[in-house]
Amino acid sequence: MRNLLGLFLVLAILVIIPTVDHAFAAGDEPGEYLDRRVLIWNLFFRMMTVAFTVGAVVSGTMIWLCWRFRESHPKATPTEYERSGDFGGSA
Amino acid sequence: MVLELQKPRPVWQIMFSTHHTDVGLLYLIMSIAFLFMGGALALLIRAELFFPGAQMIADSMTFNRIFTVHGTTLIFLFLLPSASAVGNYFVPIMVRYKDMAYPKLNAIAFWMIPPGGALIWLGFADFTWYATPPYSIISAPGPAADMWIFGLKILGISSVLGAINFIVTILKCKHPDMSIGQVPLLAWSFLSSSLIVLVAIPTFAAALLMLLTDRLGVTGFFNPAMGGDPIAYAHLFWFTFHPEVYVLVIPAIGMMYEIIPRFSRKPIFSKSSGIFAFVLLAIVSFSSWAHHMYATGMSFTEKTVFMIGTLAAVPASGMHVFNFVATMWNGRIKFLTPMMWSIGGIALFFSAGAGGVANAAMPLDFTTHDTYWVVGHFHLFVMGTIAFGTIGFIYYMFPYVTGRMYNENMGKIHFILSFIGTILVFFTQHVLGLYGMPRRIFDYPAIPEWVAMNQIATVGAMIIGVSMIIFLINLIHSSAKGKPADIHDPFGLGGKYYYPFESKNPHH
Repeated sequence: MRNLLGLFLVLAILVIIPTVDHAFAAGDEPGEYLDRRVLIWNLFFRMMTVAFTVGAVVSGTMIWLCWRFRESHPKATPTEYERSGDFGGSA
Repeated sequence: MVLELQKPRPVWQIMFSTHHTDVGLLYLIMSIAFLFMGGALALLIRAELFFPGAQMIADSMTFNRIFTVHGTTLIFLFLLPSASAVGNYFVPIMVRYKDMAYPKLNAIAFWMIPPGGALIWLGFADFTWYATPPYSIISAPGPAADMWIFGLKILGISSVLGAINFIVTILKCKHPDMSIGQVPLLAWSFLSSSLIVLVAIPTFAAALLMLLTDRLGVTGFFNPAMGGDPIAYAHLFWFTFHPEVYVLVIPAIGMMYEIIPRFSRKPIFSKSSGIFAFVLLAIVSFSSWAHHMYATGMSFTEKTVFMIGTLAAVPASGMHVFNFVATMWNGRIKFLTPMMWSIGGIALFFSAGAGGVANAAMPLDFTTHDTYWVVGHFHLFVMGTIAFGTIGFIYYMFPYVTGRMYNENMGKIHFILSFIGTILVFFTQHVLGLYGMPRRIFDYPAIPEWVAMNQIATVGAMIIGVSMIIFLINLIHSSAKGKPADIHDPFGLGGKYYYPFESKNPHH
């Protein structure tokens, strides 16, 4: 749990700081003009690249999981929990 | 055996019972009835849009009435009550208490829904499920609009009463030996979603009251002619109804947490991360409401804040998906109907979430605002994730409720057709949105791409319609004449079946 919290905190910092930085970077002084429209499109393309990559990996993993760990797979073996008869579930 | 349907009891005994499984059964039957009523309206809408021009609906106002009641019915009268059905059935058993904390309040919360539903259906309002002001104030015909407002008011009170009951049952009535960390994830999902309801619904209750007084001409909160602002209504509405999405999706994920470990024959990979993700989702659900309103002239900073707030839901959603994948890993998965619905639900949850990430980014949001992309996106959530999770769980609890097994082949056909139909309708609607077709339109120009994609979506909807008829036949036939279930292991998983059957609380 502590590791998860730590990981989430790091990810949040990595995402939030650059984004907020972009949002507020445009100062009033001459020469500090920042084209927010370009930045936001840039952010969008980066996010979509991440979303599609992660999507492909997760979808592929799920399809493989369903094929490999199906009950009828030749290599399927009883799980260690079947002997106890308690799968727990969310309980 | 104590069974609701197998053991004959007079209907009135179930109807006027305050026992949690009886109330749960009433919720279930009513929500399924409304699923078919709302679904029939969806088929009507899709049939109308098969070709450009008026086909079977006389005019645009009738069309508006149909999709208003379709949306209102499926959200408030199917999705919410079906989650309550599962919660009523299992939460007291999971926390090892004899009933809900306030059984009479529980029955009252249920019995507020039929009058609310009747007001919505008898009125048949035409201002969309968002009750779009200023139209809803100035020119939406009464009494339909007023009936809708009163109907929603009643349903809102019912939701709040139900939420209070779940929170008190879980936090105060759980067995003394059970720590809060030991409470099962399904019950945690109801705790999280009930907390959201308590915070979110009062805002909409206030907005409805303001809408009503505006309609009566007493006030002008949202009426520009009287100095009001329709955008203020948008804020109030979405402050409630963006979190409401999570109120619906969190219990559906909780249901998947019940099904996936058992059919994978493994315990859940990480219960603590599931709890953490539920709580996190409940919190961040309030940080994203204004992403529905990027096009209303918000400042860049506001838009950025709500974009980040929306994206904050991604890590929590990712934790759930990771948990499911890691649970299935190294398992011995039995692909029976409930498991198929759950896996289909996760796959579509992921697709819907990816669309949500794109929506949250304001550049694309401006392109897709009020187009069919939005329709495809939220339907992929409500149908692809929430309804899939719920229907899977209905199959899962079927032997527990009736003592009989449903027909497995029919269940699988139901899933396959629904999965194909859902992809055909809602993926196509995303593309249709990118082609620029606005949502909520009765007629459209005969642009070849628009016509073709509308026809694909309509065919998909008809496939879903056929699958739902199979579902209905399966439910009715199997509850009366299905094979008696092995009540301790109806799915042949070799382990114990969720909760010991003997744990079912006696009727009172």
